[in-house]
Amino acid sequence: MAFMRKKNRVSGEIPTSAMADIAFLLLIFFLVTTVFDEEKGLQVVLPEAQSEVEVSQRNVLHLTVRPDGIVEVKRGESPQIQPVQANQIEAIWRSEVANNPNLIAAVKTHPDAAHRHMIAVLDQLQLANADRISLQMVE
Amino acid sequence: MISAGGLKRKSKAASEIPSSSLADMAFLLLIFFMVTTTFRKEQSRNWEPPEAQATKKLDAKRRDILHVYVEQNGNIYINDLLVPPEQVSAVVAPIYEESDRRLVVSLRADRDVPYVHIDGVQKELQEAGAVRVAFYTNLEQRVARAVR
Repeated sequence: MAFMRKKNRVSGEIPTSAMADIAFLLLIFFLVTTVFDEEKGLQVVLPEAQSEVEVSQRNVLHLTVRPDGIVEVKRGESPQIQPVQANQIEAIWRSEVANNPNLIAAVKTHPDAAHRHMIAVLDQLQLANADRISLQMVE
Repeated sequence: MISAGGLKRKSKAASEIPSSSLADMAFLLLIFFMVTTTFRKEQSRNWEPPEAQATKKLDAKRRDILHVYVEQNGNIYINDLLVPPEQVSAVVAPIYEESDRRLVVSLRADRDVPYVHIDGVQKELQEAGAVRVAFYTNLEQRVARAVR
């Protein structure tokens, strides 16, 4: 008899008051742990196919990215080549574009150069608010 | 007497928040988020994007962004499907049309990928007409810049 009485004392219902706590705990857990991968990057607009435009050499700043990450700067027609570190390009672009507002940055990258070297140059140009950028590969 | 009656009536309304429906509300929220969350299926890859100070959030809608992943050896994955390099334009062109020409290609490549592969993808994208490209980069902290 004593055994039976003890069993009856245990409630047969699911405690509904704790359900809310459980649900909110789950909700908060998912809210905190969910990470959305952000869509970010450096945006460029490629030229349309078959839209080669002849540009006067005077308006072109040649930036050749070597496989070792050094950038060779060549100003338009002048045959002079100036090797620089990528992080100097922002200043170079700013001073060049002040002289010639129609300047185009022609970034030519060596086929073996790492992606990050090209990105470093593109980054500098975008920091300097350059919008006329051409991306090519050294033939 | 009248005031006492008013008091009695007032106390009839429960002043507590009904805690039994709280669970329903929470579950409803939970189910809502579970249903509306769409995960983009993407393989987990071990790659490091290049860093750039000019990194910006893309201003395109999520569904207008196409993921193109370029591997070290030149393998190209479009939304996680391996695509031969010369067929990239054929794959991208219909997607570009479908997006009402709003498509932005998120070009994802490890920082050490040789540029020849990137250039190949760019030419294919040009051929497909998808001219809006974003090179996926991580934001480089400007601390290093201030030191210089």
